[in-house]
Amino acid sequence: MQTVAKLIDTSLCIGCKACEVACQEWNDQEFTLGTFGGTYQTMPQLEHNFWNLIKFNEFETDGQMSWLMMKYQCMHCQDAGCMKACPSPGAIVRLPNGTVDFNHDNCIGCGYCITGCPFDVPRLSPETKKVYKCTLCSDRTAVGLEPACIKTCPTNCLTFGTRTDLLRKAEDRAHELQADGLQHAGVYNPAGVGGTNVIYVLKDASAPESYGLPRDPTIPWTVSLWKGPVKVLGSMVFLGGILGTFFHYIRYGPKKEEEHADED
Amino acid sequence: MKIDRFNVRERFVHWLVAISFVYAALSGLAMWSRHLFWIAGVLGGGETVRALHPWGGTIFALVLGVMFSRWASQMKLDAADREWLAKSGRYMVNDEKGMPESGKFNGGQKMLFWVEAAFALLLFLSGAILWFPEITPRVLRLGAVLVHPLAAIGSIGGIIVHIYMSLFAVPGSLKAMTEGYVSARWAKAHHPKWFRQRTKNENESAR
Repeated sequence: MQTVAKLIDTSLCIGCKACEVACQEWNDQEFTLGTFGGTYQTMPQLEHNFWNLIKFNEFETDGQMSWLMMKYQCMHCQDAGCMKACPSPGAIVRLPNGTVDFNHDNCIGCGYCITGCPFDVPRLSPETKKVYKCTLCSDRTAVGLEPACIKTCPTNCLTFGTRTDLLRKAEDRAHELQADGLQHAGVYNPAGVGGTNVIYVLKDASAPESYGLPRDPTIPWTVSLWKGPVKVLGSMVFLGGILGTFFHYIRYGPKKEEEHADED
Repeated sequence: MKIDRFNVRERFVHWLVAISFVYAALSGLAMWSRHLFWIAGVLGGGETVRALHPWGGTIFALVLGVMFSRWASQMKLDAADREWLAKSGRYMVNDEKGMPESGKFNGGQKMLFWVEAAFALLLFLSGAILWFPEITPRVLRLGAVLVHPLAAIGSIGGIIVHIYMSLFAVPGSLKAMTEGYVSARWAKAHHPKWFRQRTKNENESAR
């Protein structure tokens, strides 16, 4: 099965937030009023019941205020930090179409995925004590429908398709924008996490931070150490300890009391 | 002849530490590797383990604190202990000729006490950070995911040796922690300095 992806062309986003509403509607999420930060942004961060956020990053050039509007959600990394960190078999799964999905029957709520994620996406629900994020509408894509956010987008800023197609389309669009004078326009598909199934065309790809995107996201090195060499070390200590003490007994046996008593 | 070694209060505290440690270790191992997740099934399922492991750890830290405050003064390493540790290779191969005589605790036991206490402190601090991932700062969690398993590996490794010593390597030790006493022979063989102190002043008020 081909890997599917979502393309977000930030140059076409008008900040209408229809995708936010569609996401809430399709996923049957109750809207809980969060913090109002004095901006157009619905809330400062993603929430356990709010998986799709348009970030309104304000910036100023020559005294003119403008926005870098950008849809923020799970990036569906090819090399997913959440999956690496998760201890519960089957709680985070990669679907045949490449989507990273959470299976809440198996989620134990440890929150390791929150630490493993380089994009700060998963959120723990205080009610269910389980972790939630964008599913790429796996219940829609499974039956051949596009995700709700994409279905509702009025400007064609969002496109759904196979990853291969969308990567080509993203490059084309970036070249188009460059030809239009946005010389730093480019594609955001970070290699540090093996590429993402959510691909951005940024008007200024030289500064992804200004959109709130990490420049070179990777699975945190402490998480990689924890789930790699530290595990090997642990197995060696546990097995070595048990086998070592056993064979120590076979070789040297118990300590005798008599020998010492004789010394006096 | 029997010689009192641990009074009933010490034994209670020790076994509370031991039980809470074993629970914390097993429930922790369940969340440590997917290959060990079956332990979660034995302990009531993954959600139960996730909910109770931090409480098990908290109880462990509390009772360990009691044990620590009771024993810390007896665990100070003196010159003889340091010499003992330098020659501990001989102890391991049961060739103890020329090793300094041990008091109530030998150098190895004292080191285990301090090392396990240090690991427990690290486990408690990093565990508190991992307990509430939704509110603790990310940079602290990124450190805690390394500190917590490393301290756990160290402390479990130490306890494997501790259990081996008490059950198999030094026969007669277990009684000290179950019924509270050891034989005079045992005391003379393994802790001669302590044996002499105990037999010199025969008041058996456990201390």
